[in-house]
Amino acid sequence: MSDPVFGLPSRRSFLTLSGIAVGGLALAACSGGATSTNTAGTGSSATEKKGIGNNGQVGKGRAGATADSLLIAGFQWGAPATFNPLSPTAAWPASGNVMQIVYESLLRWNILTGEIMPGLAKEYKVDGTNSVTLTLQDGITFSDGSPCTAKDVVATYELGKKNKGISISAFWQLADSIEATDDKTVVIKVNQKSKNVGQVLRTVTETYILPAAVFSAIADDKLPTTVIDKPIGTGPFTLSKADQTQVVLAINENYWGKTFYGGLPVMKQIIHPIFKSNEDGNIKFQAGELDIMQQFVSQIWKMWEGGKPVGTFLKSKPYFVPGSMPMLLMNTTKKGLDNAAVRKAIASAIDYASIADTAMSGYSDAVQASLILPTGAEGKFFNKSDAEANGWKYDAAAAEKILTDAGATKGSDGIYTIDGNRLGPYKLITPTGWTDWNAACEIVAKSLKAIGIDCATNFPQQADCTQAIQGGTFDLACWYVSGVNPATPWARFKDIMSQAEMQPIGKTTFANYGRWENAEVEAMLTEAAQATDDAGKKAAYDKLDALYRKEVPSCPLMYRPDEFYEYNASNFFNWPDENNDYAPPMFRGAGNTWMYKIQKIAG
Amino acid sequence: MTNISSNAVTAEAEGPLVPTDPTPGPKAKAKPAWMNLNFGPRLWVSLGIIVVIALLAFVGPLLYPYGPDEKVGSLYDAPSAAHWLGTENFGYDVVAVLMASTRNSLINGLLAGTLATVIGVGIGVVAGYIGGWLEELLMGITNIVLAIPSIVILILISMSLQSTDIPFFKGIVGLALVIGITSWPWTARAVRAQASSVSTREHIDVAKLSGARTPGILIRDVLPYLASYVVMAWVLQLASAILAESTLSMLGLGPSGTNSLGMQLHWALAFQSVATGAWWAFLPPTIVLTLISFGLLYLQSSLDEVFNPRLRRGKKKNLAAAAKRREEAARKLEEEMKAPAGVTEVIV
Repeated sequence: MSDPVFGLPSRRSFLTLSGIAVGGLALAACSGGATSTNTAGTGSSATEKKGIGNNGQVGKGRAGATADSLLIAGFQWGAPATFNPLSPTAAWPASGNVMQIVYESLLRWNILTGEIMPGLAKEYKVDGTNSVTLTLQDGITFSDGSPCTAKDVVATYELGKKNKGISISAFWQLADSIEATDDKTVVIKVNQKSKNVGQVLRTVTETYILPAAVFSAIADDKLPTTVIDKPIGTGPFTLSKADQTQVVLAINENYWGKTFYGGLPVMKQIIHPIFKSNEDGNIKFQAGELDIMQQFVSQIWKMWEGGKPVGTFLKSKPYFVPGSMPMLLMNTTKKGLDNAAVRKAIASAIDYASIADTAMSGYSDAVQASLILPTGAEGKFFNKSDAEANGWKYDAAAAEKILTDAGATKGSDGIYTIDGNRLGPYKLITPTGWTDWNAACEIVAKSLKAIGIDCATNFPQQADCTQAIQGGTFDLACWYVSGVNPATPWARFKDIMSQAEMQPIGKTTFANYGRWENAEVEAMLTEAAQATDDAGKKAAYDKLDALYRKEVPSCPLMYRPDEFYEYNASNFFNWPDENNDYAPPMFRGAGNTWMYKIQKIAG
Repeated sequence: MTNISSNAVTAEAEGPLVPTDPTPGPKAKAKPAWMNLNFGPRLWVSLGIIVVIALLAFVGPLLYPYGPDEKVGSLYDAPSAAHWLGTENFGYDVVAVLMASTRNSLINGLLAGTLATVIGVGIGVVAGYIGGWLEELLMGITNIVLAIPSIVILILISMSLQSTDIPFFKGIVGLALVIGITSWPWTARAVRAQASSVSTREHIDVAKLSGARTPGILIRDVLPYLASYVVMAWVLQLASAILAESTLSMLGLGPSGTNSLGMQLHWALAFQSVATGAWWAFLPPTIVLTLISFGLLYLQSSLDEVFNPRLRRGKKKNLAAAAKRREEAARKLEEEMKAPAGVTEVIV
């Protein structure tokens, strides 16, 4: 109205629009030129070096103030508020389980091998489903010089008893007690009702050990809200500077782990510039002004095709190691979706290849009919033959046949009706701005419409979306479940099928968002949780997966990397990749290994 | 008697008017009013652009071999002989999507622009003609709506519509309604001023004296004098509505699963087409949007010249010729006025 865009379109607004068009042309020209002609690029061929760009290119090193710094991005998007790891809004690197650089955990998870590796604890022993005993490394100290002992470990977990609003409180549903038997030994007594050792180990790999002296001084109710601007952890770096533009970490020359890791990290500083959007970060990354990042980049191969020394762990598609499985959640309390045949028809109607190819920019294989990731640490539990024989794949005709076999009839509007219930309109939600998921939802909606199920997308704000999903007020949703961790695939089956955690509509739950009811599954989940060897686990997972394929309470839409691991070998080389796999393509857990192994190109 | 009076009023009226022959002699054959309009080259150029765009939108899909929902390639396949502008982020043919998007954007513009014009003209005419407390009330509402930034209202209503369960409001029609009901105020204000001016003219008094009712007067005696302005306002509302739809869709607030120029730009930005050099994803909708806007703005500008001869532009010699014609007409009129048997005597 009074706004010039929506008021009278004046000659000025016309000129503005023309300017945008011409500017766009110019940008396109620049961009196109960069990708097509800059083959010599910034680097030179360096076949003797490992862990370099996917095109075999490596840079010449960076000069100046950031020559000895590692520039990283993709973790922090706003001005840092606090470095209190107990805060839900903690800034990088204090936010939960992101990187072992200021705070560290007792054990480290390796997404590639499924191995649980030493961290602050040099070893751990599991006694059946009774207890887990951890032995600490020698000479661990916090960055203020004080020793880190078993008492700090116990005090860290005990914080979860003091305040139920912090994430460590969940540990006390899995464990009955935690004790320091001496300065270096910690014994966790596993909860004898759930006997879920996998979840206990997962918690141990994801929980930072905090200095008891600092956190015991904070009132219990203030634990998550206390602002900490000088974090004290056991890690190799300390916070040097933080403002709205960057977070800078400086190396701790007295780091306890010099012996364990074979020296200090090669970089003297780690700098995380704070960008406003993926676009800004991607441009800096392409230019070699970032060394490594964790951001979605559409068509990342254009970077190395354009001569940039950019690399990913896998050298061919999907380029990233699958680590998570965004799901299409179906609310089984909604008419139509309460029918397993309809849910299976939906699963069969979705063009998964199109999602992988376009929405995910080729970073995913077409998904299988299973809650188990077919590759990586979970691969040993995946039953390929059963998934192919009793699962589903994209076949629109087969999807319609499932509906008609179940008694559905098509109305004059092209939409099926079953048992008197029209299939739709269903609203498919996922948070706005989650680009790849938004695009995947558009493909799902089109796929469903094509077979006669009325579906439209809707992308609310993240908070509204989370509320609708946790409260069970959605129809269909694209949402995440547990990524690969020491407790998966059990944790993923629990996320989708748990009866114990199911809540009525309107009440918040953190599992079984679709409110799918089944009398048998809880016993099967318990059996899988308590299995102590791989054979026992595999048998239990086979049963769970068979039930999942029969009932289809949800279906996976794509495989996504747990973290986008992308590096630019402009300043450092020897990055881990599939030909140089000394470390997993991770930032969290065992991903810290590469900090000690990468090498500077110059100097 | 009425005819003579009307001609007299027309000749005296200020502002945009349809030129009429001042000396309609008994034997003179009056040409239709539109034939006296001066359609300059600017008008034909703007109409040409709009016709080309309309053909692309409505006839193009009948001839083009691919549909907008037909996956023909992968993410941002480059232009080729088979796909002149390559593929967009979903692997659909850009030309096919562009044609569907243009059609929907034009339909949206027509619906929203017409709605905004109807509301604006309705409120403006009533307020301007009737006056008094009703005028104060209507203009008060108009000013309040004008004072609120439209983008905020549009975003809020669009977000609410997205979460509604009523299918009618979720499509392109719903978005058009939102745009239409938020962009009428400036039309209402301008029309009110015009209507207020017309309401004081003599022919309105005559109509009142002849027993005409208010609605009849508004339709038969007020609106025709605003017709030229309403047409121009409508053209501007079309352009404005198309731009508004593009803005909302580019922000991701467009209707789900619908092609539009704004949605094309939304996905092009989301999938980093600029950074990856996929110009064919964002440039075609930008150019079409620019052409539509340019065409409509140019059309409005040239219509303004047609309806308002004082704004007419041209080369110096044209101006000189026009001045000469005016002088000649004035001289003839003067001679006729001096003549003993004048034909323009007004009998009251």
